[in-house]
Amino acid sequence: MNRALYLSIGFVSVILGLMIAFQFRTVEQVDAGVSSDRAQLLTNQLKEIEKEMVALQSETNDLENKLAKAAKGRPEASEAVLEELQKNHQIAGFTELKGPGLEVRIAPVQKEGQHNGSSLFIVSDEDLLLRVVNELRAAGAEALSINSQRIISTSEIRLAGSFINVNLTRISPPYSVLAIGIPDQLESSLLIKGGLVDTTKDWDISVTKQGELLLPAYKHRIKLEYAKPLREAK
Amino acid sequence: MKIKQYPWGVALVALTLGLMLTVQYRSSKEINETPPIARVQTLSNEIKEKQEGRNLLQKRAQQLRERLDKKAASQSENLSEAMDTSRIIAGIQAVTGPGVEVTLNDSNVELSQGQDPNLYVVHDEDVLKVLNELKAAGAEAISLNGIRLIATSEIRCIGPTILTNKNKRIPAPFTIAAIGNPQTLEKSLYLKGGVVEQLKFWGIQVQVHKKANLEILGCAGVITLEYAQPVSEG
Repeated sequence: MNRALYLSIGFVSVILGLMIAFQFRTVEQVDAGVSSDRAQLLTNQLKEIEKEMVALQSETNDLENKLAKAAKGRPEASEAVLEELQKNHQIAGFTELKGPGLEVRIAPVQKEGQHNGSSLFIVSDEDLLLRVVNELRAAGAEALSINSQRIISTSEIRLAGSFINVNLTRISPPYSVLAIGIPDQLESSLLIKGGLVDTTKDWDISVTKQGELLLPAYKHRIKLEYAKPLREAK
Repeated sequence: MKIKQYPWGVALVALTLGLMLTVQYRSSKEINETPPIARVQTLSNEIKEKQEGRNLLQKRAQQLRERLDKKAASQSENLSEAMDTSRIIAGIQAVTGPGVEVTLNDSNVELSQGQDPNLYVVHDEDVLKVLNELKAAGAEAISLNGIRLIATSEIRCIGPTILTNKNKRIPAPFTIAAIGNPQTLEKSLYLKGGVVEQLKFWGIQVQVHKKANLEILGCAGVITLEYAQPVSEG
């Protein structure tokens, strides 16, 4: 009886061993093969390029129309140029913009018995605002502002003394960050579990979806001293 | 005793076998669902083709813009300057000028046991801080690994790579090119308690080189506003 038991256990062990080995090899094979992730990545990339091409096509059409208009005569030419300038101003952030989006209000949490002085482990205004803006950008924000300062490509968010400077202009809490984009998408980027709002304890962050926001224009004069346009060879 | 145990042993073994068979079946099914390499190959080829098409369109758009800019220049110098400034700030126009090149690379510190390797690699927040510092120091145009950064460019860590301008993946080392006053830009990074000092603490390798002549390309694709609308004046 004992012997029969040992034999069957031995037999089963062999089978088990074989199966484990086989299992191991197939798992290895999956790794070595092309993962479906990669195909997904490529498909996304392809879609992205196709989208870019559509946008580029309409851009070139638009430019061609303007050039055709400019060829008609002097008044038309200046009109076409002004239209183009206006378009650039919009993208650069020199004009007011309106649209749906998200309003984020950020205020420091008032705690009893805590001095504002010991701020070693408190998330700084600068870091927090940088992260909020970065999250909103990642969620597809098309235009952003903090306390009526429009965020353009050269805008900084910087601690200067005990204040925050944006566009070299002092702002102070509570902060109001406005972002134009898809309201739901913008909201979930901040409210996602383990996300920014979830993990920030020393700040009171409230978000409100808005059907229409009005974003201020960048109000300062820009004089580029160092960057010169790089033209293509004539 | 042993006779009684015997059927239990068999039952257990049968159960294990059944489980393993299921696992085996499922993993081999997975393999079948992985797209064959051929599919990935066609995808990559398609992407390459589309990319060429896109680049051609991009060139065409650039040429058209330059032609339109010539019209602007023939009208007035102010207009032409305004056009350049708005294009550069928007990030459409390729630029050239003096500035700095900052390289960030993961720490080369040998980790002792129990240390979190996560602390010693470059994170999105590190890059974000460097960019913010450069903007505060008056950078007029910035690129990250050759990708022009615009007002809505986010910096996102996805594993060891960083994602910017929505779908552009870039691996370490990260090279930031910024056009502006080279001295001011360099100094801003080396401030006491500044960004470089903080990063060096974690052993992250930071190199800052002043450059007399940098070239930064325009943003690939077209910047479109889908949700933001102009505010009609008056």
